[in-house]
Amino acid sequence: MPVPNEEAARLVRAAESGDASAWEEIVESFSGLVWSVIRGYRLAPADAADVFQTVWLRLAEHLGRIRDPERVGAWLATTARRESLRVVQGRSRLVLTDRSDLLDTRHPGENAPEQAVLDAEQAMLDSDRAARLWRAFGALPERCQKLLRVLMATPPPSYAEVAAVLDMPVGSIGPSRARCLDQLKRRLADEVSPAG
Amino acid sequence: MSTLSDDDELEEELRQAIARADAVPPLLRQAAVDAYGWRTADAELAGLAFDSLVAPGAAVRGPTTGRLLSFEAGDLTIDCEISGTGPARALIGQIVPPQQAALEVRQRAGVTTLESDQLGRFRAESLGPGPFSLRCRASGRQVTTEWVAI
Repeated sequence: MPVPNEEAARLVRAAESGDASAWEEIVESFSGLVWSVIRGYRLAPADAADVFQTVWLRLAEHLGRIRDPERVGAWLATTARRESLRVVQGRSRLVLTDRSDLLDTRHPGENAPEQAVLDAEQAMLDSDRAARLWRAFGALPERCQKLLRVLMATPPPSYAEVAAVLDMPVGSIGPSRARCLDQLKRRLADEVSPAG
Repeated sequence: MSTLSDDDELEEELRQAIARADAVPPLLRQAAVDAYGWRTADAELAGLAFDSLVAPGAAVRGPTTGRLLSFEAGDLTIDCEISGTGPARALIGQIVPPQQAALEVRQRAGVTTLESDQLGRFRAESLGPGPFSLRCRASGRQVTTEWVAI
């Protein structure tokens, strides 16, 4: 269930006035959405971890400054999109000048989130049917992957939040979702039935 | 051959696959919870006004040029150049209008305090990769820059 607007606004105001449990509830409610947006951009695990942390640090700093506290989910989704794009754009700019940053040797403790991402993907591949579904999903056009990934976030986001992420009108989410699921179904069928 | 009866079933399957394969890593969830401890409700926020990484026309840069960031809070500007890659980066900064000020470089790994000289210049070595923010006490004002990942 998406978080109702009044509840989101209440949580933001409570966190702003020092209620740490309200902040934790915001994290519980929206970290799945934020993560889904970032992962939709297929960033390297270290970059995804940086963007995720940046988004939450930004929200902490902006608590008293958000114009529509009831739309905090959309604010988070938009911030995650912008910061993911910043990384994508920056990477494409670096070209050949210096790629050693991709081989970061980080502090040992900071490897863990990236490792967790890789481990989870591996566990996934151990299940055959799930692996086929994941492959079929990965073969979808980028826009479909982004849309489905965000729609499948846990807990599910509202259409307003999805619209903020993808910069598309709320009215076209339903039809796009149906088209993308249809494509996924066809690709999955191709995976299942042997050629000839 | 098994077929999927409808969109709902496929969707549910995909939801479960994603929840299993790509849930928020627990350490990152914890980092999000911890972010609350970094808020500075008392400070003015200096927004990110320029970032050479995404600035139009900044595409071709020599390998010796770092990333330029500029933060603004009213008439106060904090310019930074981040150089180096890998585990240790250096930061050279300039406060405008120039003034002596106490600064904090904030990263998840910890806080480093430093001071700008009378011309508003400051420098910090050994910043790690990841989000950073500056706090600055200058001419009676408390200013915090927006978080940026470097």
